[in-house]
Amino acid sequence: MDAPSDLGNRDAAIIVADHLVKTFPGPVRALDDFSVRVKRGEVVVVVGPSGSGKSTLLRCLNGLEALDSGSIVIDNIPLDENERNRLAIRREVGMVFQAFNLFPHLTVLENINLAQCLVRKKNKKEATLATRELLAKVGVGDKINTYPDELSGGQQQRVAIARALALRPRVMLFDEATSALDPEMIGEVLDVMRVLAEEGMTMVVVTHEMGFAREVSDRVIFMEAGKIVEEAATEPFFLRPVRERTKNFLRQIL
Amino acid sequence: MRSRLNAFIVIRDILGFVLTLAAVVWLIVLGGEKMGYSWHWRQIPRYLFMVTAGEFHPGPLLQGLVVTVKITAVSLVFAGIIGLATALLRLSASTVGRWLARGYLELIRNTPLLVQIFFLYFVMAPIFNIGRTATAIVALSLFEGAYASEIFRAGIESIGQGQWEASISLGLSRYHTYQRIILPQAIRRVLPPLTSQAVSLIKDSALVSTIAVYDLTMEGRTIIAETFLTFEIWFVVAAIYLVLTLTLSALAHGLERRYPRIA
Repeated sequence: MDAPSDLGNRDAAIIVADHLVKTFPGPVRALDDFSVRVKRGEVVVVVGPSGSGKSTLLRCLNGLEALDSGSIVIDNIPLDENERNRLAIRREVGMVFQAFNLFPHLTVLENINLAQCLVRKKNKKEATLATRELLAKVGVGDKINTYPDELSGGQQQRVAIARALALRPRVMLFDEATSALDPEMIGEVLDVMRVLAEEGMTMVVVTHEMGFAREVSDRVIFMEAGKIVEEAATEPFFLRPVRERTKNFLRQIL
Repeated sequence: MRSRLNAFIVIRDILGFVLTLAAVVWLIVLGGEKMGYSWHWRQIPRYLFMVTAGEFHPGPLLQGLVVTVKITAVSLVFAGIIGLATALLRLSASTVGRWLARGYLELIRNTPLLVQIFFLYFVMAPIFNIGRTATAIVALSLFEGAYASEIFRAGIESIGQGQWEASISLGLSRYHTYQRIILPQAIRRVLPPLTSQAVSLIKDSALVSTIAVYDLTMEGRTIIAETFLTFEIWFVVAAIYLVLTLTLSALAHGLERRYPRIA
């Protein structure tokens, strides 16, 4: 899958998002001239108060929300009106939701096989093989034939991560992946995300888990009202925040 | 403990049913006496079937039943297709499609089925040169399809936005999302109201007797015109419809049990 040319420009940005504007009726400017670049293998954590536009950013990055204006290019594919490009980007970008959104009428195996067969055109045997591997990786290998509602929240979210990984995406988006979980299950999901980060997956993570952010991320973006308030490499962000607003925010949550 | 409670509930229900049935029969007998109606139940079986020289001959009522079953079965399939297509059209991005679906729905839902049957039979059938049975099937399919479409639409809209988003973010097309994710869950959810609609279809099919389709109702009317066994025949006809609808309900219930998973 990985073309050699990818290795040549390791430092090139895989996500190039420029001047994003997204408004909702109200009117709410969820993204207000927002620009971001993410390099290959980089882990970027996006933090901010609720309603600051973090989720909207992720949902725009894989085309779940249409932009008012601005441009997004992922792995050299422009996200535009072209349906073919849209589908191509969704193959390259995996998304994990706060509410898991597993398909309740399908088993764990079927949940993960589905897109492999329909989108990657694998046959059932190949897909099942890959699914077994992924489930072992996220630590729910023994649940392959169960239905989602028989799993705990943590297990469901790990299955959802495996489902997103099944397409072999180049970028993973995590939209508050642990916010709906009971405290004792947050760790097991963060562990899976940590492993992904160590393996060099490009990740954009919206989270309230500051410990995780500090440990795993390369860069932190603090946003509010659809704009970047402060953006810095992880250590300086937590140790020497520049803006008063950032300091306040960190004081409140740390 | 649990099984004893269940046994109690079953016995109570059976007892309730038998008592209600007895009350109904008693009322019927009483009513008949008041009217001075003389019952001739013994003449009824031959209108159902006859066995001569060891050979089985279906009577007019059974022949009518076969026609009713054929018409309703075919209409059920078409009503399902029309209903689903209309629901998808109403939920589509196409303005023209939405208006078409809406127009069809309102037109059918807000006029009597009998008028629709007459309109199709006297106006449309001669133009398209289709027979009575075909006209009956078209009328029933269009009528029940309109109601079914609203049931499908409600079911589809009841599936959470998260299912759409998960499916689309996995790169599935709109078609595959409907086919694999949304419709299986939606249809499972609306199985009970769909069953009610199918039962209505069976009962509404009696109206096709007005355009001389020899269904169960038409056969009953013909026998009554010849024999004046009004009450006996209507009761038998009603009982046959009941058997038909109860069978359908039982089938649907079996389906519901077979696919118990629901979001």
